[in-house]
Amino acid sequence: MKNLDLSVKQGEVFGFLGPNGAGKSTTIKILLGLITPSAGNAKIMGVDVSSHGARRSVGYLPENPAFYDYLTAEEYLEFVGKTFNLPDALLRESIEKVLKLLELWDARKRPMRGYSKGMVQRLGLAQVLLHDPEVYILDEPMSGLDPLGRAMVKDVIRELKLRGRTVFFSTHITSDVEAVCDRVGVIVDGCLQSVDSVDDLMIRGIEGYRVQVRDAVHGLEEQFTASNRQGDIVEFTVTSQDLKLLLEKVVLSGAEVVIVEPRRKDLESFFLDTVSRGRG
Amino acid sequence: MNMIIGVTLKGIFRDRVFQGILTAAVLFLAIPSVSTLSMRQVTELSITLSLSLVSFIMLLLAVFLGGTSIWRDIERRYTFSVLSLPLTRSSYLFGRFAGIAIFLLLTAAVLAVATVAVVFVVSGNYPPERPVAWGAIAAAVGFDALKYIFLVAFAVLFSSVSTSFFLPIFGTITIFLVGGATQQVYDYVHSQAGQALAPLVRQIATALYYVLPNFSAFDLKVNAIYALKLNFQGLVLTAGYFSVYTAIVLFVSAAIFSRREMK
Repeated sequence: MKNLDLSVKQGEVFGFLGPNGAGKSTTIKILLGLITPSAGNAKIMGVDVSSHGARRSVGYLPENPAFYDYLTAEEYLEFVGKTFNLPDALLRESIEKVLKLLELWDARKRPMRGYSKGMVQRLGLAQVLLHDPEVYILDEPMSGLDPLGRAMVKDVIRELKLRGRTVFFSTHITSDVEAVCDRVGVIVDGCLQSVDSVDDLMIRGIEGYRVQVRDAVHGLEEQFTASNRQGDIVEFTVTSQDLKLLLEKVVLSGAEVVIVEPRRKDLESFFLDTVSRGRG
Repeated sequence: MNMIIGVTLKGIFRDRVFQGILTAAVLFLAIPSVSTLSMRQVTELSITLSLSLVSFIMLLLAVFLGGTSIWRDIERRYTFSVLSLPLTRSSYLFGRFAGIAIFLLLTAAVLAVATVAVVFVVSGNYPPERPVAWGAIAAAVGFDALKYIFLVAFAVLFSSVSTSFFLPIFGTITIFLVGGATQQVYDYVHSQAGQALAPLVRQIATALYYVLPNFSAFDLKVNAIYALKLNFQGLVLTAGYFSVYTAIVLFVSAAIFSRREMK
């Protein structure tokens, strides 16, 4: 890591993007006190990460998590809950809630050595949610999950956001960031290349518009390039500058606007641009 | 720390290797018959064999559990999930050690009962010349347990620095062999025959005697076999030696482990 300077606001969902080996997991391990930085410091909720107290307000899901596989899911969650000093009654209630939420209730009495990768990943998420922490640090949370599992994780993150929890998660899958994050940071070769609002990136990435018009008059097709025609609907592709002019002409001609849709670079293009810039 | 102790105990009881080692206890059943091979000292032989079997089982458990417990957590990446909980690394390490120590004490208690049962049966059939010293037998098993708990502390020390199981396993075995020989080496160096050695060698041997662990003080087998009176002061001194030395080894282990990078 080189000069990493980053802060995540309380209540936001922050995506930490980077190619393999960029330093995402290293950053997270520093935050969890698993490795010590050669210089600098990091704080969680104002507590320096060198103190084990900093982890009291954190739920952490490691990349490809592994848990004591001779324990059952129920026993493991009980162990985790006790390290957070959850009272017995609340612990029992929380265990039932998270196991049901993550669809592991029926498997709760089975030793984890018999679990599939996806089940272990979901148990990892269950132990993160158990004590309802303020901060969630998730290292590749969608890894090893099928589409249903991925959708479930995204729903969980959205729910956390609604409840004002802070989520910091690493991934190299841009669509995940696009779906749930407020901000995204891109790290390449140990250097933080950019930190942006996902909404801003989406707006900045607009390259033009696709406009479908019904009963377009002949003049429109001469002035603007029609990219497609199906029956009485003509589709135009225009730049952001030409959009207003096209819409005015359409309205004046008495034709009907069916669709106006932005055409934009997706987050993946932004990510790839940033990575290639970072590798210079 | 209590949670780590609990998890450690569950892990041990559910481990197949542990179950395999414990099947060695079946050999207790053969001791009464084998002891009759001694024509005059049947009870004494049964005590010798029982205590040796107890010692052997405890050695296997100490080396296996002490040497693999922490290494396996690191190897299987359990440490990422456990050490990211609000626990200090030292409480994790002490919890692991304490879990194994409690287990060894429980095992010692069970094996002591088996020993008493065997000796009771044998001494009933072949009454010894001197009455059986049940207290000395219990003390022999108890101090044997302390010896192996002491050995586990070294296994924990090796695990705190090692990335493979070679050092914890073979280092622990080496300490066991060295700890069993230090007293004999010291006695030899300071005997008439030892005077022939170079002064530097004798000085080094003497220095090592004070630094390396000495397990001979934990060996009460002779007292148990021949019903010799126990030296209470000596036992207290040995218990003190065990407490101080084990604490030092554990604190050094914790200091090293707290600085270890979990990559």
